[in-house]
Amino acid sequence: MAMIEIRDVCKWYGGFQVLTGCSSKVEKGEVVVVCGPSGSGKSTLIKCVNGLEPFQKGEILVNGTPVGDPETNLPKLRSGVGMVFQHFELFPHMTVIGNLTVGQVKVLGRKKEEALEKGHALLERVGLTDFAQKHPGQLSGGQQQRVAIARALAMDPICMLFDEPTSALDPEMIGEVLAVMQDLAREGMTMMVVTHEMGFARNVAHRVIFMDHGQIVEDTTKQEFFGTPRSERAQLFLSRILHH
Amino acid sequence: MLSQFDFSVFKPSLTFLWTGFLFSGNLTLIAMTGGIVFGTLLAMGRLSSLRPLAVIASAYVNLMRSIPLVMVILWFFLVIPLITGKPIGAERSAIITFTAFEAAYYSEIMRAGIQSVSRGQAMAGYALGMTYWQNMGLVVLPQAFRNMLPILLTQTIILFQDTSLVYAIGAKDLLKAAEIAGKNYNRPMEMYIFVAVIYFVLCFALSTIVKRLHKKIAVVQ
Repeated sequence: MAMIEIRDVCKWYGGFQVLTGCSSKVEKGEVVVVCGPSGSGKSTLIKCVNGLEPFQKGEILVNGTPVGDPETNLPKLRSGVGMVFQHFELFPHMTVIGNLTVGQVKVLGRKKEEALEKGHALLERVGLTDFAQKHPGQLSGGQQQRVAIARALAMDPICMLFDEPTSALDPEMIGEVLAVMQDLAREGMTMMVVTHEMGFARNVAHRVIFMDHGQIVEDTTKQEFFGTPRSERAQLFLSRILHH
Repeated sequence: MLSQFDFSVFKPSLTFLWTGFLFSGNLTLIAMTGGIVFGTLLAMGRLSSLRPLAVIASAYVNLMRSIPLVMVILWFFLVIPLITGKPIGAERSAIITFTAFEAAYYSEIMRAGIQSVSRGQAMAGYALGMTYWQNMGLVVLPQAFRNMLPILLTQTIILFQDTSLVYAIGAKDLLKAAEIAGKNYNRPMEMYIFVAVIYFVLCFALSTIVKRLHKKIAVVQ
């Protein structure tokens, strides 16, 4: 059974169709990069995976659980799916360690001490041990995004979704965030990553999904994608993005 | 003209005025607390995706905001005994009325506050597996409340001034106490001037604090 299975998903905003018949799979331990021009629906698709965006047609299964089913306990499903956002979305009224423990205590019902221990261990892992008592506003963008990744990992997720995790960062901070993500990928975390970072895709992705106008145009192995993408759109996109 | 005033009547009436002031203060604090709680629930209702809930909440808010407060005070005073079957007294009636009425105004403030918190914050809460109520209680409302604190306090100052309207149903607040004391000593002018000064000093001091708070919050953001 695939970790994430997307079957023929369609979504409309009013009369405007943003996703058209999207189908794909992410196997356990696989790292899949989703790329494409802006407005192609990649962020919308990844938000459909944990039900943050509703979709009108098709089916998405996460570890066998149907996301679109009204019977599904969405909070429970989401608690096992880590998500990292473009704009970090750390809770500004809590300390860094507060951000890392709130979900563990309130959602998973862990004991405070256990949550703190886990939180501190994860801060060490993302290299921010000294920042536990600071507020998110006192951290740089790169540091905030590393905290956001730690916050997601604190829930012991079965897979991780990244929605353009480096797009809002200054160039010199992108590296530190990508390094954390690459470590995760090498440890065998199942990851679905919306990004323009083709270097990351080359280094750690197993597969690449290319989207355009709400459709999955290409869904191939990394080697094929960077070697000879079949669609003209993907070729054009690659030539633009790689020649920067 | 001032020479005709006799300000010696203040001292003997202080204890009496104090009981009136205590009622005004209590009424303000209770209506503020109840109004913010009830108002926040109304705001959540108005922003809810459940249509009937949104319609009911917004009808309630619009109704309350379109009727003069004095009328609502009189109304509740007359209507509540019909519902409960026995009179509940001017003071308790005033507390219920003010909580219900102020909730409409606090709800508009809290609605703006909730909307001032970015959608991404709510998404982050949901993504962690929080339920609607957890997300509201832990992520959205603390930020909304913080952003709106100066405006909530300003509304409370207005509320404190408005409590003087309970004279309409004879509840003994600060103004009513002054009126009674004024009649006792046959010095109504002096008494009205005295309570006016009390209202002014308190409200002016409070709004100065609010202004400072506003600046402080603006700096943090």
